[in-house]
Amino acid sequence: MKKVSEIMERREFILAGGLIGAGAVAAGAVIVKDRMATPSKDPTGEKTVRNLMALKDLKPQHNEDDHIRMQRELATAMSKPVEKRRWIMVIDLRKCVGCQACTIGCVAENKLPPGVVYRPVIQRETGEFPNVQLHFLPRPCMHCENPSCVPVCPVKATWKRPDGVVVIDYDKCIGCRYCLNACPYGARTSDFGRNYTSNEAQGAPEGKDRPISGAPAPWEGLPSNEYGKSWNRKDHGSPVGNARKCHFCLHRLENGLLPICVTTCIGRATYFGDSNDQDSMVVELVTRNNVQTLLPHWDNKPKCYYIV
Amino acid sequence: MTKQDYSSDKIQGGSGLGNQWTPILWLVWIFFLIAGIVGVVLRMTHGHNAAGYGSYVPWGLWIGVYFLGVGISGGSFILGGLGYLFGVEGFSKSSDLRCAIVLSLAAILPAFLGVWLDLGRMDRLMNIIVHPSFTSMMAFNAWMYNIFMVVAVLCWFLSFKQKTSWLKPLLTLGMFFSIVFPSQSGVFFEAVRTNEFWRSPLLSMLFFVSAITLGAGSLLFVRAATAPKSSSRADKAYLDSAFRVLRATILIGLIVYVVFEFAEFSITFWNPGVYSPNTEYLLFGGYWMVFWVLHLGVGVVAPLILLASRSRGAWFLGSLLSIVGFGAARLCILVPGQVVGQIPGLAEAFQDPRLSYSYHITAMEYLVALLMISVAMTIFYIGAKLNQLVESRY
Repeated sequence: MKKVSEIMERREFILAGGLIGAGAVAAGAVIVKDRMATPSKDPTGEKTVRNLMALKDLKPQHNEDDHIRMQRELATAMSKPVEKRRWIMVIDLRKCVGCQACTIGCVAENKLPPGVVYRPVIQRETGEFPNVQLHFLPRPCMHCENPSCVPVCPVKATWKRPDGVVVIDYDKCIGCRYCLNACPYGARTSDFGRNYTSNEAQGAPEGKDRPISGAPAPWEGLPSNEYGKSWNRKDHGSPVGNARKCHFCLHRLENGLLPICVTTCIGRATYFGDSNDQDSMVVELVTRNNVQTLLPHWDNKPKCYYIV
Repeated sequence: MTKQDYSSDKIQGGSGLGNQWTPILWLVWIFFLIAGIVGVVLRMTHGHNAAGYGSYVPWGLWIGVYFLGVGISGGSFILGGLGYLFGVEGFSKSSDLRCAIVLSLAAILPAFLGVWLDLGRMDRLMNIIVHPSFTSMMAFNAWMYNIFMVVAVLCWFLSFKQKTSWLKPLLTLGMFFSIVFPSQSGVFFEAVRTNEFWRSPLLSMLFFVSAITLGAGSLLFVRAATAPKSSSRADKAYLDSAFRVLRATILIGLIVYVVFEFAEFSITFWNPGVYSPNTEYLLFGGYWMVFWVLHLGVGVVAPLILLASRSRGAWFLGSLLSIVGFGAARLCILVPGQVVGQIPGLAEAFQDPRLSYSYHITAMEYLVALLMISVAMTIFYIGAKLNQLVESRY
């Protein structure tokens, strides 16, 4: 064993200290830089204003249908710049009948492959026979104010837009699935590249809609329109391999349409709107005292509210 | 470069690949390589569908092996570096340092292979380096590993020179990384702030202690397995000194790890208000065998008994078992942390094999893990041969 003075010469000691110090400072600097709030890279301002014609001139009426009202308020919200809107969803659990129309509507709208789901409806049975009751809990992405999924992404592929919607850039995502682990709601699923028809109808005669030798049926190759782009899963194209989640149907909002889960809800249990509009239906609903959020103890501040 | 630039202490450090273990190691390597290639072919043809992980349990065996490799890498580098700097008997020669560096690189490179194969978009691997977000521990670790590897390679080159003022500073920097990145592997899990099971500051300590123990175990294993068949009495005594130091390190490391682990789990038992379904799953549920048999039995008790003996053969086996046991320990952190959903009934809400809170390692995953081991063996073999080649030329 060497004496302490023999371990390193003065020059070597200074060099070692300098290298470690420089490394620590550089590491601290990049972490602080990325931790600091930076201006959004999403387009903002006047170019995000949408003058939607649908229902624009329709005056509010007494006892009007909830959907007509939300549609009207959507057009009003879209006429503001994106940073002035704040989308939220409200689900009235007392009205939900567990029909799963929202789940299926979402699968159809976003052309979700097997194993990818944005809005499952959780069913729970309570009580003992004959006093039993079924409870239903639709679970979209919560679009949290303080999302735990965003900071863990190693490539800045997921972020919170100025209107509060947490989005994923399918062209950036590397499919590490860190965000899947970070979401306490299980709202993110990975697209493992499966198709519904790959292993179906083996040996059946070939035809227009008939898959051949394990290949998916042609309709599975149709592109989805998430985030207003055309995504084709053919030949391992994105979003295959990516994390996927509910995005409040941004592509529909841009065209003045409510999210598909809202329009397909047969019990009128799902509400959607701009929480910055104090006269909106969603603000009216969330200011009641029977509103809850899921897993509030994590301080994610979900923007999906449940009326119980 | 003159002849005097190179150290003269060839082979004696224990990198001479020519003892009785060589045929067995060759057989193991060939088997692992062939099995691993089959695994990779399955991975490429079936994608992730041949794996057991899914959307609710997103990480599986490869991530466990990845953190095992990172631990071995950091631990062997820090032990080799400390031994060299402080002139510890059995570690003081530059060939000993090179052996530790080569082992460190051989452990970390296949770890990346596992992570790469685990990615959903393998074609975008470099995004993590080119477009990193340092709010994520994954990006931070990726950068740290890469810088560490550069430093390790530089140290390896400089170790052949007798007069250089850069070796010790770079070695110190490498050791700094070796302390930081294994403990940051714990933070990798701790940073998931919404996971009760992972959100414990003790995880960093567990990962660091396991890294030191793994480094000692793997150094003892490779130095015993690659020790020259015929060497002088002095060389044998020198090697034995290294074995004794490494043995003591493993013994202490194993005990400290178990004490920390007990501290972690005992909260659940002594605080009646705390209920952890994850801990219950680990200790008494579906993972009891991995924890009690593989991790504690094979990985702690058996090595403690073997290393307490005086037989060098028992030490060799004990070191190997401690590595296997830490592999199981990694899974004991990884899997129970994922199998308990926070919203009851979610897995039943939308039925699919990929939407399940259970994880069973598949054959394809095992085969790819074997490839990772065979790649590690290949890199170590090439590195050790390179050491010999350069040393013998001068």
